[in-house]
Amino acid sequence: MADAVDVGLEIVKLTRLLGCRADELGYLERIDSQDLRDLREQVTGVLFDADRHMLGRVAAASKLIPSKLAATIGESVFGPLLCARVTGILDPHRAVDIAERLPTGFLADVTEHLDPRRASRVIGELPPARVAEIADELAARELYITMGSMVGHLSKAATVAALDVVDDETLLRTAAVVESKGSLGSLVALLPEERLETIIRTASDAELWPEALEVMGHVSERQRGELAEIAAGQDDEVLEGLVRSAQHDGLWGVLLPVTRAMSPASRERFVNLPSIQTRTVLAAIVDAAAQESLWADLLAFLPLLPAPARRRVAALATALRPMFPQVVVAAHEEQLWPSLVAFAAELDEATQRRIAELIAASDDEVLAGLLAAVEESALERESLTVLARLAAAKQRSLAKRIAGLASADGIEALAEAARAAELDGITEALIPGRRPGKTTAAKAGP
Amino acid sequence: MSARGTLEAELGGQAPDGLAALDAAERRAFAGILRDAKERQSRELEAAVEESLGVVPRLLRGTIRKVLFG
Repeated sequence: MADAVDVGLEIVKLTRLLGCRADELGYLERIDSQDLRDLREQVTGVLFDADRHMLGRVAAASKLIPSKLAATIGESVFGPLLCARVTGILDPHRAVDIAERLPTGFLADVTEHLDPRRASRVIGELPPARVAEIADELAARELYITMGSMVGHLSKAATVAALDVVDDETLLRTAAVVESKGSLGSLVALLPEERLETIIRTASDAELWPEALEVMGHVSERQRGELAEIAAGQDDEVLEGLVRSAQHDGLWGVLLPVTRAMSPASRERFVNLPSIQTRTVLAAIVDAAAQESLWADLLAFLPLLPAPARRRVAALATALRPMFPQVVVAAHEEQLWPSLVAFAAELDEATQRRIAELIAASDDEVLAGLLAAVEESALERESLTVLARLAAAKQRSLAKRIAGLASADGIEALAEAARAAELDGITEALIPGRRPGKTTAAKAGP
Repeated sequence: MSARGTLEAELGGQAPDGLAALDAAERRAFAGILRDAKERQSRELEAAVEESLGVVPRLLRGTIRKVLFG
Protein backbone atom coordinates (compact mmCIF):
# COMPACT_ATOMS: atom_id res chain seq x y z
CA MET A 1 0.00 0.00 0.00
CA ALA A 2 1.22 3.48 -0.73
CA ASP A 3 3.30 5.00 2.05
CA ALA A 4 0.81 7.88 2.38
CA VAL A 5 -1.79 5.38 3.55
CA ASP A 6 0.59 3.82 6.06
CA VAL A 7 1.55 7.29 7.29
CA GLY A 8 -2.14 8.07 7.84
CA LEU A 9 -2.56 4.82 9.78
CA GLU A 10 0.42 5.56 11.99
CA ILE A 11 -0.89 9.04 12.76
CA VAL A 12 -4.27 7.60 13.76
CA LYS A 13 -2.49 5.15 16.07
CA LEU A 14 -0.42 7.95 17.59
CA THR A 15 -3.49 10.12 18.25
CA ARG A 16 -5.09 7.19 20.05
CA LEU A 17 -1.96 6.63 22.09
CA LEU A 18 -1.45 10.26 22.97
CA GLY A 19 -5.12 11.18 23.43
CA CYS A 20 -4.91 14.06 20.95
CA ARG A 21 -6.62 15.04 17.69
CA ALA A 22 -5.22 14.11 14.25
CA ASP A 23 -4.95 17.79 13.24
CA GLU A 24 -2.58 18.36 16.16
CA LEU A 25 -0.15 15.94 14.49
CA GLY A 26 -0.58 17.15 10.89
CA TYR A 27 3.16 17.92 10.58
CA LEU A 28 3.93 14.21 10.96
CA GLU A 29 2.50 13.59 7.48
CA ARG A 30 5.95 14.58 6.15
CA ILE A 31 7.63 11.69 7.98
CA ASP A 32 7.80 8.24 6.39
CA SER A 33 5.75 5.41 7.85
CA GLN A 34 8.66 3.39 9.22
CA ASP A 35 9.96 6.37 11.21
CA LEU A 36 6.43 6.99 12.51
CA ARG A 37 6.15 3.37 13.50
CA ASP A 38 9.46 3.61 15.37
CA LEU A 39 8.21 6.80 17.02
CA ARG A 40 4.96 5.14 18.07
CA GLU A 41 6.84 2.24 19.61
CA GLN A 42 9.07 4.69 21.44
CA VAL A 43 6.05 6.64 22.71
CA THR A 44 4.35 3.41 23.82
CA GLY A 45 7.43 2.57 25.87
CA VAL A 46 7.60 6.07 27.34
CA LEU A 47 3.96 6.04 28.44
CA PHE A 48 4.33 2.60 29.95
CA ASP A 49 7.61 3.40 31.69
CA ALA A 50 6.28 6.70 33.04
CA ASP A 51 4.08 4.79 35.53
CA ARG A 52 5.74 1.41 35.46
CA HIS A 53 6.28 1.40 39.22
CA MET A 54 2.68 2.19 40.12
CA LEU A 55 1.25 -0.06 37.38
CA GLY A 56 3.30 -2.92 38.82
CA ARG A 57 1.90 -2.25 42.28
CA VAL A 58 -1.64 -2.16 40.91
CA ALA A 59 -1.05 -5.53 39.23
CA ALA A 60 0.33 -6.93 42.51
CA ALA A 61 -2.62 -5.56 44.50
CA SER A 62 -5.10 -7.07 42.05
CA LYS A 63 -3.87 -10.54 43.05
CA LEU A 64 -5.15 -9.94 46.58
CA ILE A 65 -8.77 -9.45 45.60
CA PRO A 66 -11.23 -11.77 43.85
CA SER A 67 -11.34 -11.54 40.04
CA LYS A 68 -14.92 -10.35 40.18
CA LEU A 69 -13.97 -7.38 42.38
CA ALA A 70 -10.89 -6.66 40.22
CA ALA A 71 -13.19 -6.57 37.20
CA THR A 72 -15.60 -4.20 38.95
CA ILE A 73 -12.78 -1.84 39.98
CA GLY A 74 -11.23 -2.03 36.54
CA GLU A 75 -14.44 -1.10 34.82
CA SER A 76 -15.83 1.47 37.23
CA VAL A 77 -12.66 3.10 38.60
CA PHE A 78 -9.64 2.53 36.36
CA GLY A 79 -11.34 2.73 32.99
CA PRO A 80 -10.19 1.21 29.70
CA LEU A 81 -6.90 3.10 29.21
CA LEU A 82 -5.41 2.26 32.60
CA CYS A 83 -6.73 -1.31 32.41
CA ALA A 84 -4.99 -1.63 29.05
CA ARG A 85 -1.73 -0.40 30.58
CA VAL A 86 -2.00 -2.89 33.49
CA THR A 87 -2.99 -5.84 31.28
CA GLY A 88 0.51 -6.35 29.94
CA ILE A 89 1.95 -6.89 33.42
CA LEU A 90 -0.78 -9.11 34.85
CA ASP A 91 -0.33 -12.85 34.99
CA PRO A 92 -2.06 -13.98 31.74
CA HIS A 93 -4.33 -16.53 33.49
CA ARG A 94 -5.39 -13.92 36.01
CA ALA A 95 -5.95 -11.33 33.27
CA VAL A 96 -8.13 -13.76 31.30
CA ASP A 97 -10.08 -14.64 34.46
CA ILE A 98 -10.78 -10.94 35.07
CA ALA A 99 -11.63 -10.38 31.39
CA GLU A 100 -14.22 -13.15 31.58
CA ARG A 101 -16.10 -11.08 34.15
CA LEU A 102 -16.12 -7.85 32.16
CA PRO A 103 -18.77 -6.79 29.64
CA THR A 104 -17.86 -7.10 25.97
CA GLY A 105 -18.24 -3.37 25.36
CA PHE A 106 -15.69 -2.56 28.04
CA LEU A 107 -13.26 -5.17 26.71
CA ALA A 108 -13.61 -3.59 23.28
CA ASP A 109 -12.74 -0.23 24.90
CA VAL A 110 -9.68 -1.79 26.54
CA THR A 111 -8.61 -3.39 23.26
CA GLU A 112 -8.56 0.05 21.65
CA HIS A 113 -5.82 1.11 24.08
CA LEU A 114 -3.96 -2.17 24.32
CA ASP A 115 -0.35 -2.51 23.19
CA PRO A 116 -0.62 -6.00 21.65
CA ARG A 117 3.09 -6.74 21.94
CA ARG A 118 3.11 -6.13 25.70
CA ALA A 119 -0.17 -8.01 26.17
CA SER A 120 0.49 -10.75 23.63
CA ARG A 121 0.31 -13.63 26.12
CA VAL A 122 -3.00 -12.38 27.53
CA ILE A 123 -4.45 -11.93 24.04
CA GLY A 124 -3.25 -15.40 23.07
CA GLU A 125 -5.05 -17.00 26.01
CA LEU A 126 -8.43 -15.35 25.53
CA PRO A 127 -11.12 -17.97 24.87
CA PRO A 128 -12.29 -18.08 21.23
CA ALA A 129 -15.92 -17.35 22.12
CA ARG A 130 -14.90 -14.21 24.03
CA VAL A 131 -12.67 -13.07 21.19
CA ALA A 132 -15.56 -13.55 18.76
CA GLU A 133 -17.78 -11.31 20.93
CA ILE A 134 -15.11 -8.61 21.11
CA ALA A 135 -14.44 -8.85 17.36
CA ASP A 136 -18.16 -8.49 16.69
CA GLU A 137 -18.26 -5.37 18.87
CA LEU A 138 -15.13 -3.85 17.27
CA ALA A 139 -16.56 -4.59 13.81
CA ALA A 140 -19.79 -2.81 14.74
CA ARG A 141 -17.68 0.19 15.79
CA GLU A 142 -15.69 -0.07 12.53
CA LEU A 143 -12.43 -0.16 14.52
CA TYR A 144 -10.43 -1.91 11.82
CA ILE A 145 -7.03 -0.67 13.00
CA THR A 146 -7.69 -2.04 16.50
CA MET A 147 -8.74 -5.40 15.08
CA GLY A 148 -5.77 -5.40 12.74
CA SER A 149 -3.39 -4.91 15.63
CA MET A 150 -4.64 -8.12 17.29
CA VAL A 151 -3.92 -10.36 14.29
CA GLY A 152 -0.87 -12.48 14.94
CA HIS A 153 -1.39 -12.41 18.72
CA LEU A 154 -4.64 -14.39 18.92
CA SER A 155 -4.64 -18.18 19.11
CA LYS A 156 -5.55 -20.03 15.93
CA ALA A 157 -8.91 -21.09 17.39
CA ALA A 158 -9.68 -17.53 18.47
CA THR A 159 -8.73 -16.19 15.04
CA VAL A 160 -11.06 -18.69 13.38
CA ALA A 161 -13.84 -17.68 15.78
CA ALA A 162 -13.29 -14.01 14.96
CA LEU A 163 -13.22 -14.71 11.22
CA ASP A 164 -16.58 -16.42 11.56
CA VAL A 165 -18.31 -13.36 13.03
CA VAL A 166 -16.93 -10.60 10.83
CA ASP A 167 -18.30 -10.00 7.34
CA ASP A 168 -16.16 -9.90 4.21
CA GLU A 169 -16.05 -6.12 4.01
CA THR A 170 -14.87 -5.83 7.62
CA LEU A 171 -12.34 -8.56 7.01
CA LEU A 172 -10.90 -6.81 3.96
CA ARG A 173 -10.73 -3.45 5.72
CA THR A 174 -9.07 -5.09 8.74
CA ALA A 175 -6.64 -7.26 6.80
CA ALA A 176 -5.43 -4.22 4.88
CA VAL A 177 -4.34 -2.51 8.11
CA VAL A 178 -2.98 -5.54 9.95
CA GLU A 179 0.04 -4.39 11.92
CA SER A 180 1.98 -7.61 11.62
CA LYS A 181 2.00 -8.06 7.82
CA GLY A 182 3.79 -11.38 8.22
CA SER A 183 0.62 -12.78 9.82
CA LEU A 184 -1.51 -12.21 6.71
CA GLY A 185 -0.41 -15.51 5.18
CA SER A 186 -1.54 -17.44 8.26
CA LEU A 187 -4.80 -15.49 8.28
CA VAL A 188 -5.54 -16.27 4.63
CA ALA A 189 -4.61 -19.93 5.24
CA LEU A 190 -7.48 -20.15 7.75
CA LEU A 191 -10.07 -19.12 5.17
CA PRO A 192 -11.76 -21.82 3.07
CA GLU A 193 -11.77 -21.30 -0.70
CA GLU A 194 -15.50 -20.48 -0.75
CA ARG A 195 -14.88 -17.63 1.71
CA LEU A 196 -11.96 -16.36 -0.35
CA GLU A 197 -14.26 -16.27 -3.37
CA THR A 198 -16.91 -14.22 -1.58
CA ILE A 199 -14.17 -11.90 -0.28
CA ILE A 200 -12.89 -11.28 -3.81
CA ARG A 201 -16.44 -10.58 -5.00
CA THR A 202 -16.89 -8.21 -2.06
CA ALA A 203 -13.65 -6.43 -3.03
CA SER A 204 -15.27 -5.79 -6.38
CA ASP A 205 -18.79 -4.92 -5.16
CA ALA A 206 -17.62 -2.65 -2.34
CA GLU A 207 -14.72 -1.16 -4.35
CA LEU A 208 -12.19 -2.55 -1.91
CA TRP A 209 -9.59 -3.67 -4.44
CA PRO A 210 -6.84 -1.60 -2.77
CA GLU A 211 -7.46 -3.52 0.45
CA ALA A 212 -7.51 -6.87 -1.38
CA LEU A 213 -4.30 -6.03 -3.23
CA GLU A 214 -2.64 -4.99 0.01
CA VAL A 215 -3.33 -8.50 1.32
CA MET A 216 -2.19 -10.17 -1.92
CA GLY A 217 1.05 -8.21 -1.70
CA HIS A 218 1.93 -9.74 1.67
CA VAL A 219 1.06 -13.41 1.36
CA SER A 220 3.19 -16.27 0.06
CA GLU A 221 3.75 -16.76 -3.67
CA ARG A 222 1.47 -19.82 -3.59
CA GLN A 223 -1.32 -17.96 -1.79
CA ARG A 224 -0.92 -14.99 -4.14
CA GLY A 225 -1.39 -17.43 -7.00
CA GLU A 226 -4.54 -18.88 -5.43
CA LEU A 227 -6.04 -15.46 -4.76
CA ALA A 228 -5.03 -14.22 -8.21
CA GLU A 229 -6.72 -17.25 -9.78
CA ILE A 230 -9.92 -16.59 -7.85
CA ALA A 231 -9.83 -12.96 -8.99
CA ALA A 232 -9.05 -14.00 -12.56
CA GLY A 233 -12.03 -16.36 -12.52
CA GLN A 234 -14.46 -13.46 -12.11
CA ASP A 235 -16.42 -11.78 -14.91
CA ASP A 236 -14.69 -9.27 -17.17
CA GLU A 237 -16.64 -6.51 -15.44
CA VAL A 238 -15.02 -7.44 -12.11
CA LEU A 239 -11.55 -7.51 -13.65
CA GLU A 240 -12.16 -4.17 -15.38
CA GLY A 241 -12.97 -2.80 -11.90
CA LEU A 242 -9.64 -4.16 -10.66
CA VAL A 243 -7.82 -2.40 -13.51
CA ARG A 244 -9.67 0.86 -12.80
CA SER A 245 -8.74 0.62 -9.13
CA ALA A 246 -5.06 -0.10 -9.89
CA GLN A 247 -5.02 2.88 -12.22
CA HIS A 248 -6.92 5.25 -9.93
CA ASP A 249 -5.09 4.31 -6.74
CA GLY A 250 -1.63 3.88 -8.27
CA LEU A 251 -1.52 0.17 -7.42
CA TRP A 252 0.16 -1.34 -10.49
CA GLY A 253 3.24 -1.95 -8.39
CA VAL A 254 1.13 -4.39 -6.35
CA LEU A 255 -1.08 -5.72 -9.15
CA LEU A 256 1.71 -6.53 -11.62
CA PRO A 257 3.25 -9.26 -9.39
CA VAL A 258 -0.28 -10.59 -8.78
CA THR A 259 -0.82 -11.02 -12.53
CA ARG A 260 2.43 -12.98 -12.71
CA ALA A 261 1.07 -15.31 -10.03
CA MET A 262 -1.92 -16.14 -12.26
CA SER A 263 -1.97 -19.25 -14.42
CA PRO A 264 -0.85 -18.54 -18.03
CA ALA A 265 -4.44 -18.80 -19.29
CA SER A 266 -5.78 -16.43 -16.63
CA ARG A 267 -2.92 -13.99 -17.19
CA GLU A 268 -3.60 -13.97 -20.92
CA ARG A 269 -7.28 -13.24 -20.32
CA PHE A 270 -6.42 -10.44 -17.91
CA VAL A 271 -3.77 -8.91 -20.15
CA ASN A 272 -6.24 -8.83 -23.04
CA LEU A 273 -8.89 -6.86 -21.16
CA PRO A 274 -9.87 -3.79 -23.23
CA SER A 275 -9.02 -1.39 -20.38
CA ILE A 276 -5.40 -2.59 -20.31
CA GLN A 277 -4.82 -1.66 -23.94
CA THR A 278 -4.92 2.12 -23.52
CA ARG A 279 -1.70 4.12 -23.65
CA THR A 280 -2.45 5.66 -20.23
CA VAL A 281 -2.82 2.31 -18.50
CA LEU A 282 0.18 0.79 -20.27
CA ALA A 283 2.26 3.84 -19.32
CA ALA A 284 1.22 3.42 -15.68
CA ILE A 285 2.20 -0.27 -15.81
CA VAL A 286 5.62 0.46 -17.33
CA ASP A 287 6.12 3.30 -14.85
CA ALA A 288 5.32 1.02 -11.90
CA ALA A 289 7.72 -1.61 -13.23
CA ALA A 290 10.44 1.03 -13.53
CA GLN A 291 9.83 2.53 -10.11
CA GLU A 292 9.69 -0.76 -8.27
CA SER A 293 12.07 -2.79 -10.45
CA LEU A 294 9.32 -5.22 -11.42
CA TRP A 295 11.07 -6.16 -14.64
CA ALA A 296 10.43 -9.88 -14.35
CA ASP A 297 6.73 -9.19 -13.78
CA LEU A 298 6.65 -6.86 -16.77
CA LEU A 299 8.47 -9.38 -18.97
CA ALA A 300 5.92 -12.05 -18.04
CA PHE A 301 3.14 -9.61 -18.95
CA LEU A 302 4.43 -8.23 -22.26
CA PRO A 303 4.31 -11.20 -24.65
CA LEU A 304 0.64 -11.76 -23.89
CA LEU A 305 -0.38 -8.25 -24.95
CA PRO A 306 -2.00 -7.88 -28.36
CA ALA A 307 0.39 -6.47 -31.03
CA PRO A 308 -0.96 -2.87 -30.97
CA ALA A 309 -0.52 -2.69 -27.20
CA ARG A 310 2.98 -4.18 -27.45
CA ARG A 311 3.88 -1.45 -29.92
CA ARG A 312 2.59 1.15 -27.46
CA VAL A 313 4.79 -0.34 -24.73
CA ALA A 314 7.72 -0.45 -27.16
CA ALA A 315 7.28 3.28 -27.75
CA LEU A 316 7.28 3.86 -24.00
CA ALA A 317 10.36 1.66 -23.51
CA THR A 318 12.62 4.16 -25.25
CA ALA A 319 12.55 6.29 -22.12
CA LEU A 320 13.65 3.32 -20.04
CA ARG A 321 17.04 2.78 -21.74
CA PRO A 322 19.04 3.63 -18.59
CA MET A 323 17.27 0.78 -16.81
CA PHE A 324 17.93 -1.88 -19.43
CA PRO A 325 20.84 -3.44 -17.53
CA GLN A 326 18.34 -4.35 -14.79
CA VAL A 327 15.93 -5.73 -17.41
CA VAL A 328 18.65 -7.98 -18.84
CA VAL A 329 19.54 -9.21 -15.34
CA ALA A 330 15.85 -9.95 -14.62
CA ALA A 331 15.48 -11.80 -17.94
CA HIS A 332 18.48 -13.96 -17.05
CA GLU A 333 17.68 -14.59 -13.39
CA GLU A 334 13.98 -15.28 -13.95
CA GLN A 335 14.52 -17.22 -17.19
CA LEU A 336 12.45 -14.75 -19.16
CA TRP A 337 14.81 -14.39 -22.13
CA PRO A 338 12.13 -15.39 -24.67
CA SER A 339 9.92 -12.50 -23.51
CA LEU A 340 12.76 -10.00 -23.69
CA VAL A 341 14.04 -11.19 -27.08
CA ALA A 342 10.56 -11.17 -28.63
CA PHE A 343 9.83 -7.74 -27.18
CA ALA A 344 13.23 -6.32 -28.14
CA ALA A 345 12.63 -7.32 -31.75
CA GLU A 346 9.74 -4.83 -31.81
CA LEU A 347 11.70 -1.87 -30.43
CA ASP A 348 13.25 0.99 -32.40
CA GLU A 349 16.78 0.62 -33.76
CA ALA A 350 18.55 2.72 -31.13
CA THR A 351 16.89 0.86 -28.28
CA GLN A 352 17.69 -2.47 -29.92
CA ARG A 353 21.34 -1.37 -30.23
CA ARG A 354 21.42 -0.58 -26.49
CA ILE A 355 20.09 -4.05 -25.64
CA ALA A 356 22.50 -5.69 -28.11
CA GLU A 357 25.41 -3.86 -26.47
CA LEU A 358 24.32 -5.05 -23.05
CA ILE A 359 24.13 -8.62 -24.33
CA ALA A 360 27.56 -8.28 -25.95
CA ALA A 361 28.97 -7.00 -22.65
CA SER A 362 27.38 -9.73 -20.54
CA ASP A 363 29.42 -12.59 -19.12
CA ASP A 364 29.45 -16.12 -20.54
CA GLU A 365 26.87 -17.45 -18.08
CA VAL A 366 24.31 -14.81 -19.09
CA LEU A 367 25.05 -15.25 -22.79
CA ALA A 368 24.76 -19.05 -22.52
CA GLY A 369 21.39 -18.62 -20.78
CA LEU A 370 20.18 -16.40 -23.60
CA LEU A 371 21.40 -18.84 -26.26
CA ALA A 372 19.71 -21.81 -24.63
CA ALA A 373 16.43 -19.86 -24.47
CA VAL A 374 16.76 -18.72 -28.10
CA GLU A 375 17.29 -22.32 -29.23
CA GLU A 376 14.45 -23.68 -27.11
CA SER A 377 11.96 -21.03 -28.23
CA ALA A 378 13.24 -20.84 -31.84
CA LEU A 379 13.86 -17.12 -31.52
CA GLU A 380 16.91 -17.04 -33.81
CA ARG A 381 15.40 -14.50 -36.21
CA GLU A 382 14.29 -12.15 -33.40
CA SER A 383 17.60 -12.37 -31.56
CA LEU A 384 19.54 -11.63 -34.75
CA THR A 385 17.28 -8.65 -35.46
CA VAL A 386 18.57 -7.18 -32.21
CA LEU A 387 22.21 -8.29 -32.49
CA ALA A 388 22.42 -6.98 -36.05
CA ARG A 389 22.25 -3.45 -34.61
CA LEU A 390 25.80 -3.84 -33.35
CA ALA A 391 28.69 -2.51 -35.44
CA ALA A 392 30.10 -5.15 -37.82
CA ALA A 393 33.22 -5.81 -35.76
CA LYS A 394 31.18 -6.25 -32.59
CA GLN A 395 28.79 -8.57 -34.43
CA ARG A 396 31.67 -10.85 -35.46
CA SER A 397 33.22 -10.75 -32.01
CA LEU A 398 29.92 -11.66 -30.35
CA ALA A 399 29.23 -14.39 -32.93
CA LYS A 400 32.62 -15.97 -32.13
CA ARG A 401 31.72 -16.05 -28.43
CA ILE A 402 28.35 -17.54 -29.32
CA ALA A 403 30.09 -20.26 -31.34
CA GLY A 404 31.96 -21.24 -28.19
CA LEU A 405 28.90 -21.25 -25.92
CA ALA A 406 25.87 -22.48 -27.92
CA SER A 407 25.06 -26.11 -28.68
CA ALA A 408 25.87 -27.47 -32.14
CA ASP A 409 22.17 -27.35 -33.08
CA GLY A 410 21.87 -23.86 -31.70
CA ILE A 411 24.83 -22.67 -33.76
CA GLU A 412 23.38 -24.28 -36.90
CA ALA A 413 19.99 -22.66 -36.36
CA LEU A 414 21.53 -19.24 -35.71
CA ALA A 415 23.85 -19.55 -38.72
CA GLU A 416 20.93 -20.50 -40.93
CA ALA A 417 18.89 -17.54 -39.69
CA ALA A 418 21.90 -15.24 -40.16
CA ARG A 419 22.38 -16.53 -43.69
CA ALA A 420 18.69 -15.94 -44.46
CA ALA A 421 18.99 -12.41 -43.08
CA GLU A 422 22.17 -11.89 -45.10
CA LEU A 423 24.20 -11.23 -41.96
CA ASP A 424 27.33 -12.59 -43.59
CA GLY A 425 29.77 -11.58 -40.86
CA ILE A 426 27.76 -13.43 -38.24
CA THR A 427 27.31 -16.50 -40.45
CA GLU A 428 31.05 -16.71 -41.11
CA ALA A 429 31.95 -16.15 -37.46
CA LEU A 430 29.50 -18.81 -36.27
CA ILE A 431 30.67 -21.49 -38.69
CA PRO A 432 34.02 -20.52 -40.17
CA GLY A 433 34.35 -21.63 -43.77
CA ARG A 434 30.66 -21.65 -44.51
CA ARG A 435 30.13 -19.27 -47.34
CA PRO A 436 27.25 -16.85 -46.96
CA GLY A 437 24.28 -17.82 -49.07
CA LYS A 438 25.30 -21.49 -49.16
CA THR A 439 22.37 -23.81 -48.63
CA THR A 440 22.77 -26.16 -45.70
CA ALA A 441 20.95 -29.20 -44.48
CA ALA A 442 20.72 -27.70 -41.02
CA LYS A 443 17.47 -27.15 -39.24
CA ALA A 444 15.69 -24.22 -40.84
CA GLY A 445 15.50 -20.97 -38.95
CA PRO A 446 12.19 -19.22 -38.30
CA MET B 1 16.97 23.64 25.95
CA SER B 2 16.95 23.18 22.17
CA ALA B 3 13.82 21.82 20.52
CA ARG B 4 15.70 18.65 19.71
CA GLY B 5 16.86 18.32 23.30
CA THR B 6 13.32 18.92 24.59
CA LEU B 7 11.91 16.17 22.36
CA GLU B 8 14.67 13.73 23.26
CA ALA B 9 14.14 14.42 26.94
CA GLU B 10 10.45 13.51 26.61
CA LEU B 11 11.21 10.44 24.49
CA GLY B 12 13.97 9.34 26.84
CA GLY B 13 16.40 8.96 23.96
CA GLN B 14 17.13 9.83 20.37
CA ALA B 15 14.13 10.36 18.11
CA PRO B 16 13.88 8.33 14.86
CA ASP B 17 16.06 9.89 12.13
CA GLY B 18 13.07 10.91 10.02
CA LEU B 19 11.95 13.40 12.66
CA ALA B 20 14.88 15.58 11.59
CA ALA B 21 12.43 16.85 8.97
CA LEU B 22 10.42 18.63 11.69
CA ASP B 23 11.18 22.24 12.49
CA ALA B 24 11.82 23.47 16.03
CA ALA B 25 8.21 24.52 16.66
CA GLU B 26 6.91 21.13 15.52
CA ARG B 27 9.37 19.26 17.73
CA ARG B 28 8.37 21.35 20.72
CA ALA B 29 4.68 20.80 19.89
CA PHE B 30 5.11 17.02 19.76
CA ALA B 31 7.17 17.04 22.96
CA GLY B 32 4.35 19.02 24.61
CA ILE B 33 1.67 16.56 23.49
CA LEU B 34 3.73 13.66 24.82
CA ARG B 35 4.37 15.44 28.13
CA ASP B 36 0.63 16.17 28.49
CA ALA B 37 -0.21 12.52 27.78
CA LYS B 38 2.26 11.32 30.41
CA GLU B 39 1.01 13.79 33.02
CA ARG B 40 -2.64 12.98 32.28
CA GLN B 41 -1.97 9.26 32.56
CA SER B 42 -0.12 9.67 35.88
CA ARG B 43 -2.91 11.89 37.24
CA GLU B 44 -5.61 9.47 36.20
CA LEU B 45 -3.69 6.50 37.58
CA GLU B 46 -3.14 8.22 40.91
CA ALA B 47 -6.82 9.17 41.15
CA ALA B 48 -7.93 5.65 40.18
CA VAL B 49 -5.67 4.07 42.78
CA GLU B 50 -7.06 6.37 45.50
CA GLU B 51 -10.63 5.75 44.43
CA SER B 52 -10.15 1.99 44.22
CA LEU B 53 -9.21 1.89 47.88
CA GLY B 54 -12.71 3.07 48.68
CA VAL B 55 -14.16 0.15 46.74
CA VAL B 56 -12.18 -2.75 48.21
CA PRO B 57 -13.60 -4.35 51.37
CA ARG B 58 -12.49 -2.58 54.55
CA LEU B 59 -10.85 -5.80 55.74
CA LEU B 60 -8.42 -5.81 52.79
CA ARG B 61 -7.87 -2.07 52.57
CA GLY B 62 -4.78 -1.93 54.80
CA THR B 63 -3.02 -4.72 52.94
CA ILE B 64 -3.88 -3.26 49.57
CA ARG B 65 -2.72 0.20 50.65
CA LYS B 66 0.57 -1.31 51.78
CA VAL B 67 1.06 -3.03 48.39
CA LEU B 68 0.18 0.14 46.52
CA PHE B 69 2.13 2.67 48.55
CA GLY B 70 4.75 0.58 50.35
